[in-house]
Amino acid sequence: MTDRQIMTGEEIRRAIVRISHEIVEKHAGTDGLAIVGIQRRGVPLAKRVAAAIEEHEGVRLPVGALDITFYRDDLSLVAQQPIVKGTDLPFDLNGTTVVLVDDVLYTGRTIRCAMDALVDFGRPRAIRLAVLIDRGHRELPIRADHVGKNVPTSREEIVKVHVEEVDGSEEVTIGRQLRAGEPAAGRQ
Amino acid sequence: MSPRAKTTGAASAAGPKVGEVVERFELEKAWLVDPVSGREGPGEIVVRDGVLESVVWLEGEEAQGVTDKGVVVGPGFFDLHAHFREPGFEDAETVASGSAAAAHGGYTTVAVMPNTSPALDDPGVLERIRSASRASGSPVEILAFGAVSAGRAGEQLSAMGELADAGVIGYSDDGAPVKTPKLLRSALLYAGMLGLPVVEHAEDIELTAAAEAHDGYVASILGLQGWPAAAEVNAVSRDLGVLADALADEPRARLHLTHLSTAASLDLVRRARAAGLPVTCDVTPHHLALADEWIAGSRRWSWEALSADGGSRDPWADGALTAWPYNTSLRVNPPLRTAADAAACLAALLDGTASAVVTDHAPHTVVDKEVEFGRASNGISGIETALGVLLALVDAGKLSLAGAIAALTTGPAAIVAGWPAAAATPAARKRGLTEGAPADLVVFDRADRWAVTEASLLSKGKNSPLIGRELSGRVLLTIAGGKLAYEDPQA
Amino acid sequence: MSVQAYGAAGVPEIDSAPTQEVVWHHRHLLDVDALTWPEIELIMRTTDEMKGILARPIRKVPALNGRRVTTLFYEASTRTRVSFETAARNLSADVVSISTATSSVTKGESLVDTIRTLEALGAEILVMRHSVSGAPYLAAEVFGGHVLNGGDGWHAHPTQALLDLYTMRQHLPGGDLRGRKVAIVGDILHSRVARSNIWSLTAAGADLWLCGPATLLRGMDRWATAWGDGAIPGHGRFHVTSDVEVAVRDADVVMALRIQRERMQGGLLPSLREYAARFGLNAERVSLAKPEAIVMHPGPMNEGVEIAPDVAVSGRAVITEQVANGVAVRMALLYLLAGAHETGRPHDAHSGEAIR
Repeated sequence: MTDRQIMTGEEIRRAIVRISHEIVEKHAGTDGLAIVGIQRRGVPLAKRVAAAIEEHEGVRLPVGALDITFYRDDLSLVAQQPIVKGTDLPFDLNGTTVVLVDDVLYTGRTIRCAMDALVDFGRPRAIRLAVLIDRGHRELPIRADHVGKNVPTSREEIVKVHVEEVDGSEEVTIGRQLRAGEPAAGRQ
Repeated sequence: MSPRAKTTGAASAAGPKVGEVVERFELEKAWLVDPVSGREGPGEIVVRDGVLESVVWLEGEEAQGVTDKGVVVGPGFFDLHAHFREPGFEDAETVASGSAAAAHGGYTTVAVMPNTSPALDDPGVLERIRSASRASGSPVEILAFGAVSAGRAGEQLSAMGELADAGVIGYSDDGAPVKTPKLLRSALLYAGMLGLPVVEHAEDIELTAAAEAHDGYVASILGLQGWPAAAEVNAVSRDLGVLADALADEPRARLHLTHLSTAASLDLVRRARAAGLPVTCDVTPHHLALADEWIAGSRRWSWEALSADGGSRDPWADGALTAWPYNTSLRVNPPLRTAADAAACLAALLDGTASAVVTDHAPHTVVDKEVEFGRASNGISGIETALGVLLALVDAGKLSLAGAIAALTTGPAAIVAGWPAAAATPAARKRGLTEGAPADLVVFDRADRWAVTEASLLSKGKNSPLIGRELSGRVLLTIAGGKLAYEDPQA
Repeated sequence: MSVQAYGAAGVPEIDSAPTQEVVWHHRHLLDVDALTWPEIELIMRTTDEMKGILARPIRKVPALNGRRVTTLFYEASTRTRVSFETAARNLSADVVSISTATSSVTKGESLVDTIRTLEALGAEILVMRHSVSGAPYLAAEVFGGHVLNGGDGWHAHPTQALLDLYTMRQHLPGGDLRGRKVAIVGDILHSRVARSNIWSLTAAGADLWLCGPATLLRGMDRWATAWGDGAIPGHGRFHVTSDVEVAVRDADVVMALRIQRERMQGGLLPSLREYAARFGLNAERVSLAKPEAIVMHPGPMNEGVEIAPDVAVSGRAVITEQVANGVAVRMALLYLLAGAHETGRPHDAHSGEAIR
């Protein structure tokens, strides 16, 4: 199986900058805005969005990390319990407009979990969603407010976002789902 | 069965059924073991009309290729200690199922213990057992011990004289020790007067109340209540002291200590025998070959668990724990001891301190065993696996083949021969391959392994810790008193 | 390299344990002896997260929503049962509570029949307390779900040992127990808490001392001797003494165990007064420990016997922290067990625990 690159590191960087501008534009400023990344690759992306906003607006927004493990509705379906990566929301959510950041939007279930998790910490004024990739195939009525790139995919395909902080490289690739019996090498 | 063996019986051309006289059975080129003459080697046997017509020892060219690693013929085994549970606990075992299991294990004579319900404390119960044996059709000879005390209650003596007249071969309150030293003294005197022994289950019950496993390293880690070696040592020393006292009044007093399990108690017997006391003892296959570490999940033989300095290896350190712990089939009285104690049991067998291996076959129902470890009934269903366990000792070079067979035949017979009133009975007969005598023999194949499973055990008691394991020495044929007792279905 | 993969099955594959991280594979938790140190650390990290949940305004997450947790207690223990049930409810599990006083157990139903009945009624995770050592192993053999041992006989109390470990790590610099002296004083012989703590604390590298009167230490010296340095893979040695001053001197952690009245009837102790005088943790003895040492007790306490009232309420005592941490540890274990599925993995080295 060979993975095809669909975004380079430079394209990722430009997408993040564009999203950061869109966020400020949609919110009409930065007052009461907070950026929250979903563990795991949403967290570095959230930090980059906040850094980009700081660069062009001169304002440092609060940034948080949200672990949605305990809110998943598929715990009985996975082989092992996912490793909990930790939630860190160092600000008061009440009255804040939270921009959730994740790498790939697919079925929408992750985002639903994230919203469930978020409201257990307080009552945000609004929740918005920014993703680097929207690959379609939604199973819940969820739509992203800000999208880096729309990528039409089939359900058999796998979209992988690589970020420097987690993976040591910067790119987005697309590949085919392994079938039973195929060697697993290359998946991880 | 060996391709050159042929069995024919009375009823049909296809071969005899269990209980029928073996009309003709010939076995060419097998390894014969005769513990009476002490001879073993290649040979042939012919059984005709239930009689061992000829025993031919082969030599020279004819003996070529016949080794002691293949088909072996020996005298039928004699179990001096088994529980067939009838009357009273027929859901655990009956005389019929126990006899079938015994024959599958190569046994042709079994002495059953009196802890039935009602206890075998008067001749009526003995007659019930005999009648069940006749009804079973099995030719396996059933002998019996009567209870020492009425109802095994430890208060007063059972109908000892009537029991002797009816043919018991001794007295025991097995399952428990004779309750008090005073009652034991009376029993030794009275039984001695009758020319019969007291067979003691040596246990100081004060020290074993609520005990679950041998008081040692394994029990400490598993949090099991300790069953100290001292409980057996105390009881043996009590019994030996009372025996010495009783002998002064009744020189025919005899004591047999059954299923001894500790190095220290065997040592006491060794010294008592050296001093001339008329005491004998036996050991069981499980105390020879298993150790307490099995409860933690080890499944290696006791000699594999022995360290270089004669102590026990640590199964936690060795990574020897491969099975689920707290298996209740390992709960037995006396408990499985350390590997060093198992080695002492073997040493006692080798030096003659213990002259027999007995099974203490103790079948139990699932109801009594599929419970918490500490609440499970004590006992191992072992009459079908005794040979395989002893052959494991032989395979490991710890015991000779002839020694193993002697421990199952002439050993117990010699113990009985030492009891004055029993010496002249068939129970004490010499168990050899004797031409002209009724055929009483077992044929097994050391090269053929069999899987111990719930289905392969004929006993109703499936409480064997060896289930799931393969043993060597599949029994192919057992003939008891000239009649077919067991024939391997695939033979 | 580990990357996030979005699969095709319609479920978001959220980073299922990358290969370089420890994976939880135990279907049951029967004792800590089956756990490797990385697995214990995973429990500790997961407990950290659960502590985070307990610190929130809403102390409840939907992780075990719709999962059925049954507590089956054959011994009275309100505090342990409530701790498990609170943990289960914090994870949104449905909780069924059975104790011997209210069930057919008192009518003589066997453990195996009881467990088969509970399974038929839908129990998925069984939390069990039993007075006979090894009983949870029997339960695990017949139960189709997960068994979590809430204490069996004298044998094991794994959640207590893990909450003790968690509490100790909170109070020690860097959460590191290596070389730290831990003294456990009391009735070691009859204590499942002590036995489980032997496994976890020797795995943590603590300098463990067990102390009590000789009658209540039976067998422990033999065990300690067998466990010389390096004898048991993954576990260090420990010490046994009847001299309470030797045990407590310079300790970082001092733990008292409950002394039960029955011990005197069994002829193991002359009197509670004599025990308190010779072994009770009083201020004078605790002063032998390090100044920053903590005092622990698994509860319930006999104040004035194994622990003096002023010690129990002193600034060193972390006994109520133990109780709070107990909920978090039990949440972590319920969560981890609920996700362990059949993997066909063979036996573990220690307890023979397998995923079956």
